[in-house]
Amino acid sequence: MNTCGEIRESIGAWLDGELSGAEADAVRSHLETCLICGEERRQLENLNRVMKDIFESEDFRLDVEPFWHGLRQRIAAKRPWHADLAEWAGPFIRAPSFAWAVPAVIVLLIGALYFGSILPGWGVLAPRNNFATVESIDAYGRNVALLREHESKTTVIWLYQNSDNENEGAGETSDKGPAF
Amino acid sequence: MKPAIKVLLFSFFLCSAALHLNAADKTFQSVQITIKTVAAGKQDSEFDPRLAPLEKQLKALNYRSYRLLKEETQTARWQGNANFEIPGGRVLTVRPQEVTNNQLSLRVQLKQGDKPQLETTVRMNNGGNFILGGPPHEGGVLVLSISATAK
Repeated sequence: MNTCGEIRESIGAWLDGELSGAEADAVRSHLETCLICGEERRQLENLNRVMKDIFESEDFRLDVEPFWHGLRQRIAAKRPWHADLAEWAGPFIRAPSFAWAVPAVIVLLIGALYFGSILPGWGVLAPRNNFATVESIDAYGRNVALLREHESKTTVIWLYQNSDNENEGAGETSDKGPAF
Repeated sequence: MKPAIKVLLFSFFLCSAALHLNAADKTFQSVQITIKTVAAGKQDSEFDPRLAPLEKQLKALNYRSYRLLKEETQTARWQGNANFEIPGGRVLTVRPQEVTNNQLSLRVQLKQGDKPQLETTVRMNNGGNFILGGPPHEGGVLVLSISATAK
């Protein structure tokens, strides 16, 4: 600690008695010989004196009694039930982080797949109608109609009887025309 | 561990579970087939309450009465036949062929005695149904609801 710069940085600590013996001796001996650093010391001593006068003056006294009184009242006061409820439910009703939207979407997709596999037709990804596709059909010479009933979304295969009725069903008869 | 890393790991776990579920969709062992045999007529206006789940489908056929004659469920393996006796000496044979994209392919044959009346291949939603109607029965017609669910 030889330069004026180092000494000036240490003057405050020296004035507060925070330096070790050797450091304090070095600062003291330098201040006795260096006018510039001595001026710095005087300014700091003046500043300390002014600050001390301010803190010790009557006008500066802080009136903390109202603060403590209010604090004691708040501690003693019973919390309303809705405040407890809000504190308990806070984590559940607070808006979730956007990052959780990713697993939330995945959970929804899994749910759709799961319910679609155990309850066919209930999954979100399941087709929304019940239409069946007829890939091939052979009515062995009889008339047959394929219908897609749109209200119930159902495929209907309707087998008409031949005009001679082929004596099917041991004399069973039915109305001839289409029933739709 | 940072929250963002936790969220990413959790998402990865969920994706794995989703893929596993999706893979399970392809391992159906058998098909449960249910045939509901309904007598439809125009004589009265009775509607069998046991047919409530099919009410919308049946009423589109414009008959006045619907009575459940028989309901039978069988489980068939892939390419195996399930035979259902239908009133009037008829037999309905259903053979599950394959499942693709949650859609079942069924080979359906209706016979009366030895005479084949209808043979068709139908692709339908897993768990869905279709209607086969027209064979005469006691002054009305038979309506068959054919549903199948891969298990």
